[in-house]
Amino acid sequence: MTEPAPQHDPLALEEDLPSAPMTINLGPSHPAMHGTVRLVVTVDGETITEAIPEIGFLHRGFSKSSENSTWHQVLPYTDRLNYVSPILNNTAYIMGVEKLIGIKCTERAEYLRVVGGEISRICDHLTCIGAIGLELGAYTVFLYAIEARELLWDRIAELTGARVTVSWTRISGVASDMPAGWEQHLRDCLPRVIELTNEIDTLLTNNRIFIDRTRGIGVISGEEAIDWGFTGPCLRATGVNYDVRKAHPYSVYDRMDFEIPLGSRGDTYDRYILRLAEIRQSHRIVIQALDQMPPGPIVTDDWRYALPPKKDVFGSIEGVMAHFKLIMEGIKVPPGEVYVYTEGANGELGFHIVSNGQGKPYAIQVRGPGLPILSALPRLIKGHAVADLIPIFDSINMIGGEVEQ
Amino acid sequence: MSDSGAVNTAGGQPGAAKGQASIPVPPKLVKVFVDGMEVTADSRDNLIEAARRIGVAIPYFCYHPRLSIAGQCRMCLVETSDAPGRLVPGCQVRVKEGLKVVTNSPAVKDNQRGCMEFHLVNHPVDCAICDQSGECKLQDYYMEYDHQPSRIRTYKLNKPKREIFGPLVVYDAERCIMCTRCVRFMDEIAQEPQLAVVERGSHSLISIFPGQPLDSQYSGNTVDICPVGALLNRDFRFQSRVWFVNKSPSVCTGCSNGCNVYVESRGNVAYRLLPRRNEEVNQVWMCDHGRLTYHETNDKRVEWARTGRGEHAASVGPRIAVDRAVELLMPLAGQGGVGVAISAQCTNEEAAAAFQLGAQLRAQRFFFCEKPPGDSDDFLIRADKNPNANGVKLVAEAFGMKLEDISQIDGVKALVAMRTDGLPLEKLARLEVFVAIAQNEDASTAEADVVLPCESVYEQDGTLINWYGRLQRTWDSVPAPRGDAAPGWSWAERLLSGLGGTGFRSAAAAFKLLAERSPNLVGLSFDQLSDDGMVLDRLLPWQWPARAPRPLPGAHSVRGPQTTPPGTKVGDEPSGASR
Repeated sequence: MTEPAPQHDPLALEEDLPSAPMTINLGPSHPAMHGTVRLVVTVDGETITEAIPEIGFLHRGFSKSSENSTWHQVLPYTDRLNYVSPILNNTAYIMGVEKLIGIKCTERAEYLRVVGGEISRICDHLTCIGAIGLELGAYTVFLYAIEARELLWDRIAELTGARVTVSWTRISGVASDMPAGWEQHLRDCLPRVIELTNEIDTLLTNNRIFIDRTRGIGVISGEEAIDWGFTGPCLRATGVNYDVRKAHPYSVYDRMDFEIPLGSRGDTYDRYILRLAEIRQSHRIVIQALDQMPPGPIVTDDWRYALPPKKDVFGSIEGVMAHFKLIMEGIKVPPGEVYVYTEGANGELGFHIVSNGQGKPYAIQVRGPGLPILSALPRLIKGHAVADLIPIFDSINMIGGEVEQ
Repeated sequence: MSDSGAVNTAGGQPGAAKGQASIPVPPKLVKVFVDGMEVTADSRDNLIEAARRIGVAIPYFCYHPRLSIAGQCRMCLVETSDAPGRLVPGCQVRVKEGLKVVTNSPAVKDNQRGCMEFHLVNHPVDCAICDQSGECKLQDYYMEYDHQPSRIRTYKLNKPKREIFGPLVVYDAERCIMCTRCVRFMDEIAQEPQLAVVERGSHSLISIFPGQPLDSQYSGNTVDICPVGALLNRDFRFQSRVWFVNKSPSVCTGCSNGCNVYVESRGNVAYRLLPRRNEEVNQVWMCDHGRLTYHETNDKRVEWARTGRGEHAASVGPRIAVDRAVELLMPLAGQGGVGVAISAQCTNEEAAAAFQLGAQLRAQRFFFCEKPPGDSDDFLIRADKNPNANGVKLVAEAFGMKLEDISQIDGVKALVAMRTDGLPLEKLARLEVFVAIAQNEDASTAEADVVLPCESVYEQDGTLINWYGRLQRTWDSVPAPRGDAAPGWSWAERLLSGLGGTGFRSAAAAFKLLAERSPNLVGLSFDQLSDDGMVLDRLLPWQWPARAPRPLPGAHSVRGPQTTPPGTKVGDEPSGASR
């Protein structure tokens, strides 16, 4: 029996080596810097002593652009917030406008929004997991994840007409109903998505290399995460049970039977495992929503808020005038101020909307879940090795569009 | 043509005669309640005006504050405490102490919805091709008071679609809602009854009389007050959608009345003029001739500087042109043969710059030129077809110079013209040197050695003085540049620096000098001039045309009070009310 080789801390080996702090730019165009963000990293040998994220390369002027657009013209801008799960952004924004007006979404459209939103959430998580795998050398995982995501994005394209820039919701409803045969199509492809998710599970979850690279890396406690403003999977990975869908149910989530998966350590591994579990929960929700979905209109027939049917626009003066006023001047939203908050794929997605009664928003601010989490990145990274930076950054799933708006 | 004798204040037929203007009962203040809110109203107010004082909008098509009451459209029906259980027209019923008015009860709302539905029964599906689209009361009110699908299951009535009423007006009977504003306008304001309602019931339409086109000089106003797209301006028709043009205030240059207008433009092209409300100049009207003056801003412009006459003419950069003019003028300066012509189309600032340039050239003679006089009437049209004859004379006085008539030009060797209106063509060819600062190409610019492109009044900051001495601002209302065009004072400044002098670097600087020199303008500052202008008391004439709007006595230096308090939306800005 030979004695096992003594375990060495790889960083301890460097302790005696002379070194001076060095500042390195990571990004903004580095392939692992999802979106376009720059990290100004100061390293002492292999150890990161400081990492300052610098955002702004993807800044689109969301708030200002929105002020110069009619209420419905803002929708395409919201697509581009978290561009991996745009339906969730559409829904959150339109819920705010509906709250200002005091109009209810039609029953069927609520279910459609839940179906579309949960599919989007699955896509978002698959993208994140796939990227973690990819950047830790597990290219197969990435391929599986993207195959599953493509299945769902194809369904989204059939449902909304676009893969990513969907602009799908409308005040009091959605733009398009499920096409004929779409429901069965979705039901047929969901098992494959779960099968691929299980494959990823098998490949990564008990993988020694993956565990070594992620467990105990980028740890944050529940209290600290709350202090930083964490929400979503990153918060729940620390064991804090907060999901807007359960804590403050909106839409028809209170009619759905699903669980909130929780982590315990708040490290990169937990953030990964949590997303995996959430994919399965979202799958449950989608199936239930499809089962429960009632027939009915997908948008209101009140012409003050929804465009008249084309038959009326081309065939009646009432229809053409309503169409003209809605397009040229926008929907008249009563003066007021609301904050709506929903569970986005990465956490609480909130819209603060101010109306002065005109056809355009007076002001809009977005509470994107990514910004508070990204702001904690220096804290998560500090003291780790350079090689840990990418897995940590992957696991918080920063999306440039919603961080920089 | 006013109310004779007693006025029925209990809500009968107030102002049913011509115009609303003179009611012999002295006004007093009464308290009424509109939707529970207390309003202090003028006893002459009807319910619409009383509600407007606190920003409550009672919708109407046929009512117009300056026309008699017709009660045609039924859109303004409201409930009052005087007639419980029934609806009364807000345009016709006048306020009375303690009256309670309800504008938002279910009965009122139901009437408004029903009214809109009936107005739309025979209305064609025309928004896409209608010029009024975007400033149409039907569109506004439909979204606000009806917003329901059509319930009509029959064909719509067909009527004449494009009746040419006159040189400026075309009529679409299908779009007409028979509010009769146009008929009342022609009867009461233009006082040329050229329109009438013919036929009956849903077949009724507006018509001209056989052999008598709508050729009044005020016919364009019927288009402005038409709440729908029935009467359209033939000059503007199909030229631009109204939401593409920018609306900017200015002053009409068509005659010396100086009607306040809005210029609507896109890029460097003006599309139409609309009257801008000024009780003391034009109320809310303007004449057809003035309406078309914007064409001079678009057509046949001198866009680039030019040197040489006839075959030798060549477009050049502004600096080369100025250098050439200086080269020609410099040897003649102080020789006694230099004259300066100043057109009555100039702003005061351009005129001042011309006198300054003349002084630098040691010119002995200054000439006054102008567009020839034309028609006049007793309302808004003045015979003097120049916007600023008074101003040019005032500026000459300020510089202590005598203005000669342009026909006295013989003996002048070199002429600098600030705008080229009314120059004697046959005498220009004899000039040794002719430098023209010109807005439009005409026969005289062809004779010039140097032509410098001048901005129109609609394109530059400045001031004008109308026939009765009202000083009014103009603005850079058509903002995009046209070629190398610049204000006249700017060209004068460039010539002056070439000649070794200094000129005005802004319109404000020119006005500052005028304010120092002219007793009429003492103490005035360019940036503090009111948008509505102010009266220079000493220029006020003794005689007035019978119906010309005039400043209120004793309030000459400020704008007179209006029937609507400041800050509230005036529903009857002619046209464009919805934007």
